[in-house]
Amino acid sequence: MSTSQYDIVVIGSGPAGATTARVAAEQGLRALLVDKRQELGAPVQCSGAVSRHALEEVGIQPADEFIHEAIYGFGIYDQDGSETIIDYRQLKPDEYGQGANKKPLGYVVDRRRFDRCLMTMAERAGVEVWLKTEGLGYVVNSSGSCTVQLRHFNKEISVEAKVLVGADGLQSQVGKWAGLHTHIKLTELASCLQFVVDQVETDGLLEIITGHEWAPGGYAWVFPKGYGYAEIGLGVIRTMTKENAQWHLDQFIQHSFFKTRFKNSRILEIQGGGVPLAAPLRTQYSDNLILVGDAARHVNPITGGGIHTALSGGRIAGQFLAKLIREGVAPTKENLAGYQEQWLEELGNKMWQLYKEKCQIFKTKNLKRRDAMLYQTMSSYFSPHSEYKKI
Amino acid sequence: MPKKEPVIFFIGWNACINCGACVAVCPQKAGFISPFDTIAVNTPCDIACMVCEDICPVSTITHEPAPKPA
Repeated sequence: MSTSQYDIVVIGSGPAGATTARVAAEQGLRALLVDKRQELGAPVQCSGAVSRHALEEVGIQPADEFIHEAIYGFGIYDQDGSETIIDYRQLKPDEYGQGANKKPLGYVVDRRRFDRCLMTMAERAGVEVWLKTEGLGYVVNSSGSCTVQLRHFNKEISVEAKVLVGADGLQSQVGKWAGLHTHIKLTELASCLQFVVDQVETDGLLEIITGHEWAPGGYAWVFPKGYGYAEIGLGVIRTMTKENAQWHLDQFIQHSFFKTRFKNSRILEIQGGGVPLAAPLRTQYSDNLILVGDAARHVNPITGGGIHTALSGGRIAGQFLAKLIREGVAPTKENLAGYQEQWLEELGNKMWQLYKEKCQIFKTKNLKRRDAMLYQTMSSYFSPHSEYKKI
Repeated sequence: MPKKEPVIFFIGWNACINCGACVAVCPQKAGFISPFDTIAVNTPCDIACMVCEDICPVSTITHEPAPKPA
């Protein structure tokens, strides 16, 4: 058994973990980033939609390495197929489009390539990165640091860190180690399934299909996936339906107003996951420990989008930890509370508002009224005038 | 209310898409996991709330009563 010393150890190299580690290293911290997988981003549990703004905000250059397709707007549909199209190529033609000096609004990324790219950026910023390394536990030391137990290619290793960062996703074990209330209710976790398909045309828009008939408690989506491929998926809340996500996805493909469009679709990949449509964790820190990304439930409770919020949360965490450790402040629970305060101020308070809006919609008993509310909320959410545009 | 009988979960690996949703919704303490991003399969679950079976997008989790200790 050997012991090395780091300022921070980050468990989980997704967008949140890799960004936390990179930002901290850029500001002079000694960081170790570990992930249990042999390849990042796989199996894919995400649709991959992210705004250009979200990437630029944390210094990620949009690159062919990870972009499947550029996005220029949204199409929101109600249960019967009535649509609200918000195409920025038409709303702001001088700014958005494919021509010279024009930009996309966002992208659908390949999470395998994207996560690898973020890890590479961290590595180049000086972060030490270990794959095939799982976290086993941590103990707080009397000296004010903590010891993190890891298993790396079957070998047990202990490392010492001032702060352990749990970036281990929705399935977070790190949060449970610290005794944080990470448990999510069945009523607030959408059960999601998506197919990457061939033979379904798309037009640079993220399409969102609302309505209890297709996706009770959530929504269905059709996203462009590059190379002429598309992604068709949906998320359901299982307390609102007897059937599973697979059954609902089959119904949507075979019986919705898009059935002719999907007629020749061929499945190329099958992916799934749980998406929290929940409030952020009330406590995201403990002694020598903070949580970021899905582990802290930094997910937009209306859209289920989590890449932007993971990147921004990672930046906030990296900057906060760099300052705290540079100034020699003890990483106690009391002092790490500042991370959450800063996060609430920049992002979290708006996510709490979104959560309250989401609850208003889904506590509406009348289904017709509820469907209308969700359609209306989604339509205004993505409009150029939305106050949540950058969440 | 009577305490629930402990159960053992089985995963139909052929249908499992390794999405991790069962672990995400599971109220068990840390470590109730398999090496394949699912809930534990060899350890009796004494909570037996079955939310892992509910959340599974492809319904590939089932259970049997855990063997009684001898």
